[in-house]
Amino acid sequence: MIRSSMTKAVLCSALLLTPSISKAQLPRDPAERARVVAQIMEANARQLTLFDRQGRQVSTVGTRDLYNQPVFSPDGTRMAVVKPDLEKETGDLWVIDNASGKSIQLTVSKTRENAGSPAWSPDGKQIAYVALRDAYFGLYRKSSNGQGEEELLYKGSAPMTLTDWSQDGKYLTYFSTDLAGGRLYALPLAGTGERKPIEVFGNKSQNQGPRLSPDSRIMTYTSNASGRFEVYAIPFDPAASPGAALAGPWQLSDQGGTGMVFWRKDGKELYYLAADRAVMVIEVGAGATPKFGKPQVLFRPPADIAPGIGPGNASVTRDGERFVIAVPRPQLRQLTVYDRAGKVVSKVGEPGFYNQPNMSPDGTRAVLMRNDPRTGNVDIWTMDLASGKGTPITNDTDPQNAPIWSPDGKQVAYVSTHESISSIYRKAADGTGEAEQVFSYTPGAGMVLTDWSNDNKFMTFYTGVIVLVPIGNNQKASDRKEIDWLREEYLAGQGRFSPDNRYIAFLSNEDDVDRGEVYVRPFDPNKPDAPLAGPAVRVSKDGAQGMIAWRQDGKELYYMTRNWEVMAVDIETTPTFKAGTPRMLFSLPGPLPGNPLQWKNVSPDGQQFLFAMPTNASTQR
Amino acid sequence: MSFSTRVCLGVAVALLASSAAWAHHNMSALFDFNDRVTLNGALSKIDWRNPHIYLAVDVKSGSEQGQTWSVEGPAPNFFRTRDIAKADFEGALGKDVVVEVSRARDHSRAGLIRQLTLPGGKVVSACPQNC
Repeated sequence: MIRSSMTKAVLCSALLLTPSISKAQLPRDPAERARVVAQIMEANARQLTLFDRQGRQVSTVGTRDLYNQPVFSPDGTRMAVVKPDLEKETGDLWVIDNASGKSIQLTVSKTRENAGSPAWSPDGKQIAYVALRDAYFGLYRKSSNGQGEEELLYKGSAPMTLTDWSQDGKYLTYFSTDLAGGRLYALPLAGTGERKPIEVFGNKSQNQGPRLSPDSRIMTYTSNASGRFEVYAIPFDPAASPGAALAGPWQLSDQGGTGMVFWRKDGKELYYLAADRAVMVIEVGAGATPKFGKPQVLFRPPADIAPGIGPGNASVTRDGERFVIAVPRPQLRQLTVYDRAGKVVSKVGEPGFYNQPNMSPDGTRAVLMRNDPRTGNVDIWTMDLASGKGTPITNDTDPQNAPIWSPDGKQVAYVSTHESISSIYRKAADGTGEAEQVFSYTPGAGMVLTDWSNDNKFMTFYTGVIVLVPIGNNQKASDRKEIDWLREEYLAGQGRFSPDNRYIAFLSNEDDVDRGEVYVRPFDPNKPDAPLAGPAVRVSKDGAQGMIAWRQDGKELYYMTRNWEVMAVDIETTPTFKAGTPRMLFSLPGPLPGNPLQWKNVSPDGQQFLFAMPTNASTQR
Repeated sequence: MSFSTRVCLGVAVALLASSAAWAHHNMSALFDFNDRVTLNGALSKIDWRNPHIYLAVDVKSGSEQGQTWSVEGPAPNFFRTRDIAKADFEGALGKDVVVEVSRARDHSRAGLIRQLTLPGGKVVSACPQNC
């Protein structure tokens, strides 16, 4: 289902404040709503694409749409997929004929409800799924031709993800995860009355994607028990008493396994996605205890889409002959420097999987997030804008985001999350030395770090609230207390200190719930927790989505409109703040995935602008 | 880091671009979604600010009778986009409400709102965010 129960996805949402499609709250204004819907479609639509065992593209199915979780019917002629309806704010299941591309809608959810994670019955006549109905998650099934009513099989409460219907027809397998761990379940389908799930396995690790072998003796799943996700197997014995010691688990993958673990119908092969998104195969030998072979690469999907492929958008036919991938738009991005007229000044290095480029205070380097396609890891890097030479700042498996520069350009800071605790770290910009933990936040809470004040006294992040972290002392990270600088009924974020530290510019929907604008408020670094003085001064005129930056001399402010226009505003900061009329410098062909809008991409003199441009996009509109 | 892109849309809708659903906590870290409690009582306090609203409920019946619970809801923006105003809650102060919550994992008198019924019978759902 689209409402993810995968922790990394949860972290992604929390840390980047990026909503899942089905949970996005769209603007009410029709024109604004249509604009946002079009942008979501452009950025997120995927093409269902079939591949053979050699990785050759066989065909495409239907047209590009917001497809997710494609699962083949047992005979491989149809697919069940999840497709959100942005207008209704729902997600529903559709069944598509692979040859014709024709589809039928299987489920019909009420507004702000959804259905997902489909699993076909062995005979292909029914599809089971998870649905949110009247504030409860449940396991349901319905005829695969869309006829009849849905049948509730099990009423749960917490989110769960269904992954399979056993080939003997006796069990549904599903999992439920949260930051406390992950549990694998099997729901017996036989009998009548209330069904009781069997908890097969669970611990503090993120255990996901259970599927039973064709003879229902083995359950495979993925887990991050070793520090990264790998594929495991355990015996499945529904008659075993709870907590009984079972053999295993056996680790099957050796270079990371992100999911999509499927059994061939004869039980002789297993398939999964490796960390680098290669499609892997494992031979399985018969015996009282199955003999699992060494993982082999079956094929590698096209490199420019690999980071966009996950276990939720790929699957395989029961005979192992066809693979479907919901192919996203190309993920490669070229770091590109523009001048004030929107002309390309330079392209930095080779294209890569870059996110959130921030320009250094002297305008010569960038700090960014870089996805390594070989490992699937994303780390913080700095990059020299003249030579394109990169330097790793982090090199680990913890989620990291929101890199920023220190005022002198000698350090970078970023957010890293370990076991549900998000912390701010800082480290030398040349990658040397150890990272220093600066601040540790509430367990389970994400934050987006946006700035580091010129006087080195504060960092700021946002959560809907603009929060200050005092760093001008020698306190330990655990002793530092955050200050809610702007916590109101309206949203506020992307705080940016003025060069003289007398103001903070930020984005807020104070005036219109459906529209962000750039505002500036006075800031007194000696009284950071004092009540706000007077009203905010609005800088933008017709909506903004971020990219707020001050020119170093404090005489110009920049932001980006909702139509991807780079704007400049003349400003005065003494004796009080005054803003002139915004004027467009240039526009870009949005949407621009990879450029979350809290980034600070303007050179200190306001002459150059750094973007991570899709490699398939034109450079200027 | 290993970074799932399953729902990480990558679309630049950071703040406000689509009135995005903000996620401050991972709610499952603090609240047990399998442990539901229904509170019947008077709404006694409102804190209508980001990143989450907080309500105080003086419970009048059931095993929690006599207790004051602090219940947490989505951000004000969540309600604004559903045409539910702060005034709807202010008008309910001192009146009886029914709140279904997921209980706090530390078993304090706190919960995460799943559904709330205002005095006039209007049902406010915090799903799918809080379900």
